[in-house]
Amino acid sequence: MDNNVTKFGSMFAAIMGIAALGFGIMEFVGEEWGPLTAEGGTFTAWRAIILLCAGVIYLSSVTNFIDVRQIVKAVAASIMIWIVAAMDIWAMIAASIPSGAEEAGEPWFASGADFLAAYGPPYMPAMYLLVPSLVIIYFITRRRIAS
Amino acid sequence: MWEVKVERALTADERWDLVDKITKEVVKVGAYKPGLRDALASLTVNPWTGIPFAIAVLYGFWTFFGEFAGLFTDGFFVRIFGTHWIPWLSGALEGLPDWLFTILVGDRAVFAEDFVGDPCFAAGGVLTTGLFMPFAVVLWAVIALFLVLAILEDTGYLPRLAVLVDTVLHKIGLHGFAIVPTLVSLGCNVPGVTATRLLETRKQRFMMIALLGVFVPCGAQIGMMEELIPGLIGWVFLTLAIGYLGFGWVLNKIWPGESPEILMDVPPYRAPQWSNILRKTWSRTRHFLMVAVPFVLLGCAIVMVLYATGAMDTIASGLEGFLAAVFGVPADATASLVVGFLRKDLAIGLLPIDAMTNYQVFISVILLTIYFPCLATFAMLLRELNWKEILATLGFLIVTIFVFGGILHLIGLAGGWY
Repeated sequence: MDNNVTKFGSMFAAIMGIAALGFGIMEFVGEEWGPLTAEGGTFTAWRAIILLCAGVIYLSSVTNFIDVRQIVKAVAASIMIWIVAAMDIWAMIAASIPSGAEEAGEPWFASGADFLAAYGPPYMPAMYLLVPSLVIIYFITRRRIAS
Repeated sequence: MWEVKVERALTADERWDLVDKITKEVVKVGAYKPGLRDALASLTVNPWTGIPFAIAVLYGFWTFFGEFAGLFTDGFFVRIFGTHWIPWLSGALEGLPDWLFTILVGDRAVFAEDFVGDPCFAAGGVLTTGLFMPFAVVLWAVIALFLVLAILEDTGYLPRLAVLVDTVLHKIGLHGFAIVPTLVSLGCNVPGVTATRLLETRKQRFMMIALLGVFVPCGAQIGMMEELIPGLIGWVFLTLAIGYLGFGWVLNKIWPGESPEILMDVPPYRAPQWSNILRKTWSRTRHFLMVAVPFVLLGCAIVMVLYATGAMDTIASGLEGFLAAVFGVPADATASLVVGFLRKDLAIGLLPIDAMTNYQVFISVILLTIYFPCLATFAMLLRELNWKEILATLGFLIVTIFVFGGILHLIGLAGGWY
């Protein structure tokens, strides 16, 4: 990988690290801010710990990003974010299918409008980190081409 | 060449020294340039990065499990049973004699108009709660657990988790692969007991089986906990993990035998083959359906016979004072705890949660988990252990219930949480 890509990689890791730390703290606080929610649930503390750890791991990969042992830290942190975000998406899918009605005669499945509404905001913090974390695929590809 | 005089069996340390000597002479280490996959493999077994990664993986494991089971159980099956099947069945079988109605459908009071509660759990009959639990609650939980477990196995993550926990498990005389039977047991204790064959010595197998039978709740129990006490499940698991490690440490000290080091074969990370994943999940789920479901139905039938004959009231009132004094559980929960000897999952469903404080619910669920293992698991113990070990397991179980349950009760009293 050339110097520019390495610099870009370091910047990516630094920004993602700070963002993940910030969102991890938000998960601990557990409130709703506009389209972002970190309100309670069974696993709130787990999510917060994972985001904080992902943030620290991203930041530890900032220096010498060209080295495979450094890039892989950013890859691991990204996978951690993907797991949390994927579970948030899976929770939305699971909530969007049944109608929730309990009486006989009422529909079993959610209506089209309710189905779509389940995917609307507010979203959990990891969802906002999901898309930028995918940038790591660019670095993986560049590394593969370079080697 | 090496000359080994075989006058006695080598100790584990001597064997490792020999391995080192041989390796130094025959293995030449050249320049090695690790790829990304190799680096990820190393990173996930390094405690500093591996433990946070493991927390993320286990979070995914449990969230997927909870949402998957919730989708089918709460989304569809509670309604299928609660609104359609149970009301229809109680009407269709209304003319049956009381004793037979109680066994097949459940307590008639549950079907009275003024009844407040969920008939799916409260009815208790073989054809109502007996079918609801395995097919509406437990089956989906078990499928989710086995599916994720198969993915972890086939990607190559499970052996890395074993390496990661090896140091901790060595402190209690086990090694990293003990995590495999432990995770399998979270689906069903029966294959979990079989999976202990991975362990090297009889001591390790005995310890693992004893710890599985006492401290590892199966998918059926977890499914019920997820359904009834989702807010307490984290505390229950934390407490059971402390018990698993603490009592494992004690067992390691008092039970004779060896706990040798082992060399673990850690495969590279691979993309899983979905046909393999589905085949494994189906094979384990089918095993659960064939082995565990008949015991659920039998357990329900025995419980309802005890209720129909009035024996349950007699046993419950006999144990009421004792259980309240030693463990602090209220009189209303005594019958559920008695049911726990037959079906732990059914017992969790029968706990009068509304009439109990959070701590009473917590301690009751812990007691139900560390109780006598389910009948199917007990049958496996008979197959896998000798008589001395079976008696020791039962002794361990009784001691654990009183010591662990008693300590939790004292903590509750000290904290003023009753």
